[in-house]
Amino acid sequence: MKPLIITIIALGLLQTVKGQTINWKTIDSSKHIVTAGFEWDYSLSFSAGYGYKLNTKLPIVLSLNFTKASGENLLDDFKTKIGGQIVLLNQPTLKGVITLNGIYRRFENDLVRLQNIGSELKGTFGYYKPKWLVACEVGFDKAILTHFKHSDTYKKDIYQNVKDGWYEPATGGNFSYGLQTGYSFKKSDITLNFGKVITQDFKTTPLIPFYLRLGYNYKFR
Amino acid sequence: MALKSFTALGLILTLLVSCEKKNEINDPDSLVPKTVVEDPGLPSIEANGAKLHAQAFGPQDSTLVICIHGGPGDNYQYLLNTISLANEGYRMVYYDQVGAGLSERKPKSYYTSFGANGINNIFYDELKAVIGHYKTHPDQKVILLTQSWGSILATGYAGKYPAEIDGLILAEPGGFKWDDVITYVKASRSFNLWSELLNDATFFDQFITGKETEHAILDYKALLLSSRNDIVGDFGSIIGTNKQYYPNVRDGAVISAAAYEIADKYKPDFSEGIENFNKKILFLYSEKNKAYPDSWAQKIASPLPNKQIVKINGVGHSGMFDQLNTWNNITQPLLINYLNSIR
Repeated sequence: MKPLIITIIALGLLQTVKGQTINWKTIDSSKHIVTAGFEWDYSLSFSAGYGYKLNTKLPIVLSLNFTKASGENLLDDFKTKIGGQIVLLNQPTLKGVITLNGIYRRFENDLVRLQNIGSELKGTFGYYKPKWLVACEVGFDKAILTHFKHSDTYKKDIYQNVKDGWYEPATGGNFSYGLQTGYSFKKSDITLNFGKVITQDFKTTPLIPFYLRLGYNYKFR
Repeated sequence: MALKSFTALGLILTLLVSCEKKNEINDPDSLVPKTVVEDPGLPSIEANGAKLHAQAFGPQDSTLVICIHGGPGDNYQYLLNTISLANEGYRMVYYDQVGAGLSERKPKSYYTSFGANGINNIFYDELKAVIGHYKTHPDQKVILLTQSWGSILATGYAGKYPAEIDGLILAEPGGFKWDDVITYVKASRSFNLWSELLNDATFFDQFITGKETEHAILDYKALLLSSRNDIVGDFGSIIGTNKQYYPNVRDGAVISAAAYEIADKYKPDFSEGIENFNKKILFLYSEKNKAYPDSWAQKIASPLPNKQIVKINGVGHSGMFDQLNTWNNITQPLLINYLNSIR
């Protein structure tokens, strides 16, 4: 009787999303991108980020992103990403983008505190116009190394010989696939990402196997 | 320049982490205790084709009280306060159902291969085998002391084998008809979208994933998921003086998923045949379980023919057993009265 059916029904869609969605057609004259997002990213979350466009032949944006999960405890669950995006296919309207991020994330409940170092690789291919974009995206999020620190409650009431410390091999990994779309005006983009998540064995899914992100970008020189 | 800085930071982090001794996520006892298969020193019995974690207390030939835990996929540790009934002369029997607690794990396909007979072949046959293992003479009475899913299972069993059971103690079965079970599960898990509780249940899915065969990982995740539920009023147990018997707790993720899948597919009615069970039934429910109001208790108990319904104040779903004060002062006296009445 464990499955959170009601939660799944209540959420409807939703889950992880991978940093910034950029309309590459409108970024030429900008150097800085500030982003904000409201999303289902393994939980209801808020995110903020910054991107810096390098002066290179193939467009590259370096980015930093912070995602905070909702809940009563302020900073027990969060995720930070640092990485970048490069446009490898750079046709006038068709573009193919590779995103690579390093991840540090933290989770804590009554029983355990988890700290993880992970990585994220995403490919995006889509159609980009000055006013709008539509693209498909496929990503893989790998939890490479995780540090477990169990609470006294866990050790006293559940399992006294639990081993704290770093765990390997990789403790987790999830694939995601979906669509991204956006509308651009003046110096702004409003973006929407949505899709499904499946674990790396392709047989099981996270409790809520969807992702959704509503994002806003502000671009300036 | 920025790229070089990022690379350097990554290398430093990698070096720092790689200097420390690491644990193996797949080790059977790193995050959760070993099962009876991995640790032969644990008390166990063979029943229905599986090695079950089980033990018994009290005089061997006296009335058997078989304790059946919830879940599916939970364990009997939270029922251990009831060991004190052994001092009243009862033979108290505890067992972790197959795939749950510290009992043997089976692959999901083992359970689902039974199809429509899954509930019968997995749980009823297992209970029959457990009773058979501990029964020392044909006239020995058998009482089922149960909670949550255990009460659903026990009701189904008593409906199927009414002559084999002499007493039934039920505590907050979510429902007997599958639609009622679903309704209860939804009500008991309808977490606020903004709450820490929902966040705690879902956010760690990006840290740990396990294949269907990686029981230790999946069981660990199940344990984190079920550790707290404010809706049903369970805030953690105080096992009290009985705790020394079992400090090790483990959930069974695969049996939980498989049982749910089987039941959802075949939609069993666990109250089938219970009208033929003519012995007295004690039906308990709690004050603090918000998903189990008085009206739900009355509705769920309605198919039970000869029952006494009692509300236990001050506790939630499991508290009537796992809260020592409530057990000593309220539940145990109630159960002793009931057991005396059917002697």
